[in-house]
Amino acid sequence: MLFNSIDFAIFLPIVFMLYWVINKRGSLTMQNLLIVVASYVFYGWWDYRFLALIVFSTLVDFTVGQQLRKASDSGKRKALLWTSIFVNIGLLGFFKYYNFFVDNFVQAFSFFGSEIQPNTLNIILPVGISFYTFQTLSYTIDVYRKKLDPTNDIVAFAAFVSFFPQLVAGPIERATNLLPQFYKTRKFHYSKAVDGLRQILWGLFKKVVIADNCAQFANMIFDDYSQYSGSTLLLGAIFFAFQIYGDFSGYSDIAIGTSRLFGFDLKQNFAFPYFSRDIAEFWRRWHISLSTWFRDYVYIPLGGSKGSVGNQIRNVFIIFIVSGFWHGANWTFIVWGALNAVYFLPLLLLQRNRKHTNVVAEHTMLPSIKEGIAMLITFLITTLAWIFFRAPSISDAVQYLAGVIDSSLVSIPEIRPSFLFILILLFLVIEWAGRRQKYALEALWLGRPKVVRWLAYYIISMIIFLYGGKAQEFIYFQF
Amino acid sequence: MSSSLKKYWIRFFFKITFFGVLLFTSYCFIISRANGYTDPFYLRFTSTKQENLIIGTSRSAQGLRPDIFNNILKKKFYNYSFTVAHSPYGPTYLNSIKKKLKSNVENGTFILTIDPWSISSWTDDPNDVDKFRELKLCLKNTPLVNINPNPIYFFNNYNGDYKKLIMKKSSPMFLHNNGWLEVSVDMDSTVVEERINEKVKDYKKNLSSFSKKSDLRIYYLIETIKYLQNHGDVFLVRMPIHPKIMQIEEEFMSDFESEIYEAIEISSGYLDLTEFNGDYIYTDGNHLYKDSGIIVSEKVSKWVKNTKANELLKPVYY
Repeated sequence: MLFNSIDFAIFLPIVFMLYWVINKRGSLTMQNLLIVVASYVFYGWWDYRFLALIVFSTLVDFTVGQQLRKASDSGKRKALLWTSIFVNIGLLGFFKYYNFFVDNFVQAFSFFGSEIQPNTLNIILPVGISFYTFQTLSYTIDVYRKKLDPTNDIVAFAAFVSFFPQLVAGPIERATNLLPQFYKTRKFHYSKAVDGLRQILWGLFKKVVIADNCAQFANMIFDDYSQYSGSTLLLGAIFFAFQIYGDFSGYSDIAIGTSRLFGFDLKQNFAFPYFSRDIAEFWRRWHISLSTWFRDYVYIPLGGSKGSVGNQIRNVFIIFIVSGFWHGANWTFIVWGALNAVYFLPLLLLQRNRKHTNVVAEHTMLPSIKEGIAMLITFLITTLAWIFFRAPSISDAVQYLAGVIDSSLVSIPEIRPSFLFILILLFLVIEWAGRRQKYALEALWLGRPKVVRWLAYYIISMIIFLYGGKAQEFIYFQF
Repeated sequence: MSSSLKKYWIRFFFKITFFGVLLFTSYCFIISRANGYTDPFYLRFTSTKQENLIIGTSRSAQGLRPDIFNNILKKKFYNYSFTVAHSPYGPTYLNSIKKKLKSNVENGTFILTIDPWSISSWTDDPNDVDKFRELKLCLKNTPLVNINPNPIYFFNNYNGDYKKLIMKKSSPMFLHNNGWLEVSVDMDSTVVEERINEKVKDYKKNLSSFSKKSDLRIYYLIETIKYLQNHGDVFLVRMPIHPKIMQIEEEFMSDFESEIYEAIEISSGYLDLTEFNGDYIYTDGNHLYKDSGIIVSEKVSKWVKNTKANELLKPVYY
C-alpha cells in the first residue's frame, strides 16, 4: 500500500479511529494487536505471501531474545547472536543478492576461460526486507550487548518489527527507542496529532510535488542520455538529486507523522542534507537511521576512526561500500558508496569531519558567501555521485558523466520545465526557513494567526493536488 | 478517556473533518471544471444512463456522430466508444455498457462497430482474460459511469496534471457531450500522407505483429449483442478505413466475416463500409475526418432506418 494512494487514505483513518477507540477501553495489548493486524494488512496489500518472512523474522528474534535472557555463558550468547545474524542476513542475502553473486561468479569464471551454467532464480525482492531485517537485528544485538532487556511480550515485539508507518522504507528504528514505546499506554495528544498531520502534509508535498515531477524529467534524461547536451545531463542529475531526496525524506516524513498520530515518536531521518557544508555533514544529515545503524553495529566494532591510518581508511571504505551495497545488488551502488568514501576520507584524515555540527546560518537569515559556496560544492559532488546511483550500469554512469564534462556543459539545456524550477525554488525556500526544526513545516507558521496557518496548509494541499507529478513508486521500496 | 482528553479528541476530529471537507469541496470544484478538452474519455463517465448507444473503438468514437443519428432516427443517441486499447469486446466493456444503459429500455437502437482488432488480444494466450489489455484502463477502473462530476474517474485514471483542468482550454481533441470525439488536425495533403504512413508503420510494428484473434472476445461480442437485444435492435457496422490500413487488416484476418459469422447471424443487420474505403477522407488512415464522419453517420443511420422499416429480421449483407 502506497502512502500516496487512495487505499492508504481510507486505511489510515479507519485504523486511527479503531486505535483510539480501543485505547478508550484501556487495553494496551489490544492496541498493539491492532497495530500488528493493521501492519500485516498494510504489507499484505502488496503481496501477502511475503508476510511469512516478517512473521518468521519476528519469531526468530523473539526466541533468540528469550534465550539470551537465560544464557549466561558467553559462547552460547555469541552462538545465539550469530543465529539471528545468520537468519536475518541469510534471508536478505538470498532474496536480494543471490542472483547478483551467481552472475558475478559466472562472469569471473568465464574471465578465466571456464564456462559454467548459471543457476539464477526468478526471485522477487520482498518490499522492505532491508529495513525490517536491520530493525530486528538491532534488537538482538542490543539484547546481546545488554543495552536492552529482552521482551516477554510477543505482541509488542511483533508490533515493533512490523509497525506499518515505517515497515517498508524506514526510518530503521532502534529497539532501544521504539520497543519501549509499545509497553506504555499511549494517550491521545492533540498537539502531537496535529504535528503529525503537518509532517504528513509536508512529506506528501516532497513526494508528490517535488519527487514525482522531478522523476519525469530525470527519467527522460537518464533513459536517453546520449541525446542530450552536458548542461541537460547535469540538470538531469540535479533533478534526480531532488527526486531521491523528495522521495525518501518525504516517505520518512509521512512515516514519522503517521506514527505521531498513533502516539509514537520516531527518530529524525533527514536533517536538510542539501544544506550541508561538507560531505561529512551531509552523511550526518542523510538517511540518519541507516548511517547510525552502520556506525554503531559495523563501523565502531571495526575500530571506527581509531587505530592506524590504514585501519581508518579500511573502515571508511567498508562502511560506505557496505552501505552502498545495502541499497541494491548492483555494482553501481558499490561504486556510489566507494565514491562517497573517497569524498569523506580527506576530511577524516585531516580531522575536519566534525567541523560542521551545527545548523548552517544558525543565527542569521542567509548563509555567508563561504557557506553558500561550501553548500553548493557539497551539493554538486553529491549530485555527481547520484549518477552512479541512478544509472543502470557502471558503463552508463561513466558515459553519462563524460557527457556532463563536455563543452556542451556551457549551453542552455534542451529541457527547461519552468514550473518545476519554480516548485523547487519554493521548496528550497520553505526548507531553508525551517532548517532549524525537525522538518520544515514544524514551527514555520506556528506564531501566525490561525487563519494564516490554515491558509498556508490549504495552499500546500492544493499545490499537492494540482501540481502532483505522475505517481511513481517510492524509490526506497526496491531497497 | 478523561473529559479534557475527550474534548481534545473532538476538537481534533472536528478540525480534520472540516479541513477534509474543505479540500474535498475544492477538489470537486476543480474537477467540475473538466470539459471536452480535459481528456478524450472523462465526459463519457459523467452523462446519465442512455437508451441508444454507439459502441466500438476510436473509429466509431471519431467517425459516428450521435446528432446525425438523432436527426434521422428520431432518437437520442450516445457515443460510448473508446479506443482499441480501452474498449475491445470483452467482459470489461460489456460490464461498462450494462452500467451505461437504462435498465428499462425496450426499443433502443445499438450500433456496434467491429473490426479485427476489437476481437483480438495482445497477449501470448489471446483468451487469457486476466491479462486483457483493458484491465488497467479507465473502463475497468471506473465503476460508476453516470455521475457528474466523477471523482472516481480522476482518482483512478487521471495521473497528475490536475492543473490542466483549470488551464487547458484548447486541444486538437474535443469530446462532445453526446460522446462524439471531434478531432481537428491539419488536413494538408502532405501532412495527412505523413500521418497515414506513420499509422501504417505503427499498425505493422505494434498491432499486427502481436495481435491474435481471441475466441473469448468473439464470445463477448456475441454476449454484448445478446444483452443489448434484450433492450432493442443491434446493428453491426464495419467502419471504412484507408486502403493501406485495410491491406494490413486483410493480411491479419482475411476471413474476418466468417470469424464473426455467429454475431452477424444474430444481429439485426451488418453493414460493411470497407467496400467504400476510397470514398472518404481520413485524418491518419484509421480515423475518418469529421466531414467524412458526417457522411458515414448519415449513411449508417439511413441504413438502420431502412432496415428497420423493411423489418428485415435476418442479417443483411450490404
